Amino acid sequence: MVQLVGSLRKELADSLYTCKVLVVGAGGIGCELLKNLVLTGFKNIEVIDLDTIDVSNLNRQFLFQKKHVGKSKAQVAKESVLQFCPSANITAYHDSIMNPDYNVEFFRKFMLVMNALDNRAARNHVNRMCLAADVPLIESGTAGYLGQVTVIKKGLTECYECQPKPAQKTFPGCTIRNTPSEPIHCIVWAKYLFNQLFGEEDADQEVSPDTADPEAAWNPEEATARASASEKDGDVKRVSTKEWARSTGYDPIKLFNKLFKDDIMYLLTMDKLWKKRKAPTPLDWTQLENKASPQEESPASGLKDQQVLGVWGCCQLFKHSVETLRSELREKGDNAELVWDKDDPAAMDFVTSAANLRMHIFSMNMKSRFDVKSMAGNIIPAIATTNAVIAGLIVLEGLKILSGELESCRTIFLNKCPNVRKKLLVPCVLDPPSKNCYVCASKPEVTVKLNVQKTTVLSLQDRILKERFGMVAPDVQIEDGKGTILISSEEGETEANNSKYLSDFGIRNGSRLQSDDFLQDYTLLINVLHTEELERDVEFEVVGEAPDKAPPPQSNPEEVNSITNGNKDSAQPSTSSKGQPQTRKRLSQKEKKNLHGHDL
Amino acid sequence: MIEKEDPIISEEEAAQYDRQIRLWGLDAQKRLRGSRVLLAGLGGLGAEVAKNLILAGVKGLTLLDHEQVTEESCRAQFLVPVSARGQNRAQASLERAQNLNPMVEVHADPGRVEDKPDDFFLQFDAVCLTGCSRDLMVRVDQLCSQHRIKVFCGDVYGYYGYMFCNLGQEYSYVEEKPKVVKPSGDSSDGSGAKKAKVDPNETTMVKKTASFCTLKEALEVDWTTEKAKAALKKTPVDYFLLHVLLKFRTDKGRDPDPQSSEEDGELLRQIRSDVLDALGLSASLLNDDFISYCFSEMSPVCAVVGGVLGQEVVKALSQRDVPHRNFFFFDGRKGNGMVDYFGPN
Repeated sequence: MVQLVGSLRKELADSLYTCKVLVVGAGGIGCELLKNLVLTGFKNIEVIDLDTIDVSNLNRQFLFQKKHVGKSKAQVAKESVLQFCPSANITAYHDSIMNPDYNVEFFRKFMLVMNALDNRAARNHVNRMCLAADVPLIESGTAGYLGQVTVIKKGLTECYECQPKPAQKTFPGCTIRNTPSEPIHCIVWAKYLFNQLFGEEDADQEVSPDTADPEAAWNPEEATARASASEKDGDVKRVSTKEWARSTGYDPIKLFNKLFKDDIMYLLTMDKLWKKRKAPTPLDWTQLENKASPQEESPASGLKDQQVLGVWGCCQLFKHSVETLRSELREKGDNAELVWDKDDPAAMDFVTSAANLRMHIFSMNMKSRFDVKSMAGNIIPAIATTNAVIAGLIVLEGLKILSGELESCRTIFLNKCPNVRKKLLVPCVLDPPSKNCYVCASKPEVTVKLNVQKTTVLSLQDRILKERFGMVAPDVQIEDGKGTILISSEEGETEANNSKYLSDFGIRNGSRLQSDDFLQDYTLLINVLHTEELERDVEFEVVGEAPDKAPPPQSNPEEVNSITNGNKDSAQPSTSSKGQPQTRKRLSQKEKKNLHGHDL
Repeated sequence: MIEKEDPIISEEEAAQYDRQIRLWGLDAQKRLRGSRVLLAGLGGLGAEVAKNLILAGVKGLTLLDHEQVTEESCRAQFLVPVSARGQNRAQASLERAQNLNPMVEVHADPGRVEDKPDDFFLQFDAVCLTGCSRDLMVRVDQLCSQHRIKVFCGDVYGYYGYMFCNLGQEYSYVEEKPKVVKPSGDSSDGSGAKKAKVDPNETTMVKKTASFCTLKEALEVDWTTEKAKAALKKTPVDYFLLHVLLKFRTDKGRDPDPQSSEEDGELLRQIRSDVLDALGLSASLLNDDFISYCFSEMSPVCAVVGGVLGQEVVKALSQRDVPHRNFFFFDGRKGNGMVDYFGPN
């Protein structure tokens, strides 16, 4: 009979006492995980989280109480744990794991890294750091009743990026601007509108009718003519939405009439669009005001947010929210910008009303604020018990790793119902690394199809290297015998290149670009495949993968293959106009925060 | 009876419960809010269940435990402060439990389950027993199910754990099913314009019923019949392991103790042979492996079993979603979590 310390063999118990582990994230999974770790006997734990506590966290992040709202999650988590385990040695960081301070050397301190994240960008990054440091990583995720845990060990198992994950669903610009057919299109439009009026204006978040829509043209020449005409169209095009709004003093009724009447009437002139679609019906403020019936009694038994407003109710909500946001903007001073936040009541009211008015115009049933918030805010429902189960499984996998029993590690799926073999928890053997993985293969290489005359250097950096290939601070050299530096991660060095096209640097079909992220110790060789034929609103394609469309619906809900990524990149679409995740020119401070911790 | 309460959900509740209301709906949340639960045993598993139910937002939770806080208790669960040695375990857990959610009425009772009169249990909508002997569980289960009170039992032994439930002979619940969307043909107005799509996320609630047997019936399955023997291949051996561990608890008045691992290991081996023999089964059904892995309540195993058990209680109180019928077994070494039914057909 082996010597036991509690449930564990003495050797294992002893190793828990000395080893150092890192927990990335102190939210739903993180709180449960920290509790399990200390109760199991882990003594030296470091935890990092960039976020602060919100009241909606309290239904599951049990280390936090109402009095802690607004404080650092990592810090409060540490303090709460010390309450029931004062001897634990915990270091808390209120910071982003993607901060270059947390370099390979930092990761090497740990025997084990455990993710408790809610977004893919951070997961990709930690994956690479753990590969670089050769530290075992336990990856996990939950959504509603479902959850998943897996183990990643360099050279032994698949890494997080070995199997391509479905890209976040996005919608083409013309759908958002001209032909919405689902509520989500209208919600995305409303969020764009918010930014155009009150936030940081973005060329990829246009809300006005898209005259260059290929579907609107009866013949190809007409499309080009329309496009160039609109560029020369003087006032309408040159003046930004924000400037125009300012010129009206953000008059809600003027805004209303432009967005919900004039622009719709313009769309109606693009008659080809409405040949096979139900045409939108413009709204008129004065008409609606005259027709308005007295307010109905609000039903007492439901959540106020779950009621669906009538059209005039939306108009009033639109007016009020514009007025509130207008004052918020004025208070902040010149050149102020607001950042959209689902928990900001006026911002949420604005999106709810604007989206609903648009839905009504396009003959869709309107949605309650509750539902709009879910979609606009990428909210994934979450409960304590799912996180508790997954966190328990994480520690059990961790014990196997520390006992040197890697071969007994598994991917474990938590389902809502037992499968045909009666299993609610389904362990699966881990797969070996993929030979073609563009991250963990020995010399990772990809081929990217794009148009060298239409792709800018900035696009390459932001859309391809950062968003698609998960780099944080890329450096790119052209393999042209001269080692021409195309992109430098040092701020300002290659900024002049940003708006130039790849072809300007002699990049053509067959060119090779060496891209590095030094922090991640990651080099990726990109083979350029020039094409002039890409799908409508698609900027590039990674060869060897299906085009970036929405993932097909799961045939068997139990066989979910990808780790439920979290609310920061849920199956809900991100707000993008061109079929790819958004371009960001240069992240402003608040945007950096958004990218890491909040929905885009 | 789940109390018919104020139908209005306060702003505070709506804000705090937002993420779970979005999952199980407002009706379910209201039912939870009207439910009272008894939880016996505040060890590792008990603390997990307490946390889960308090966070879910039940009306009241009574923590019942006659044990005193020992050094071991402090390591085993996170509700008891380190300064509480010598105090009653339920009372020591009260403050941290209440702080998890001030909207829930949390009570601590230092009494023994076995000493409680029958009518003590009648004030609850659900009873959850951890750390109880087999006979006690059987008795309380019988009493409660007669009064339509939902019964749950659970324990953790090292890397292993189980949960049992008895929701009565006629348990009604609702299940959410996707609405069947018929493909829309061309509109009848002849214009050829498409109608707006039906929201693909629309669902409908379907009423169902299920029947549960008593714990006594579940534990006293006859394995000597041909039918039972045939079913043996697909039967999780955890069921028999449970019998062994319950017998140990009955015979020794405690669970296997790491401090006496040698003697207890021997005893477990013996009990295993006795139990399987008495059931008319081969001793090889349960090999020696389990012996060194069933000591003490392992925290991550408590988290898994407590999570599943907690969620089953939530489902039963809200009468929503298919219940696990009637056992859940967790094997922390293999990562297997299985649901199976034991009892008369």
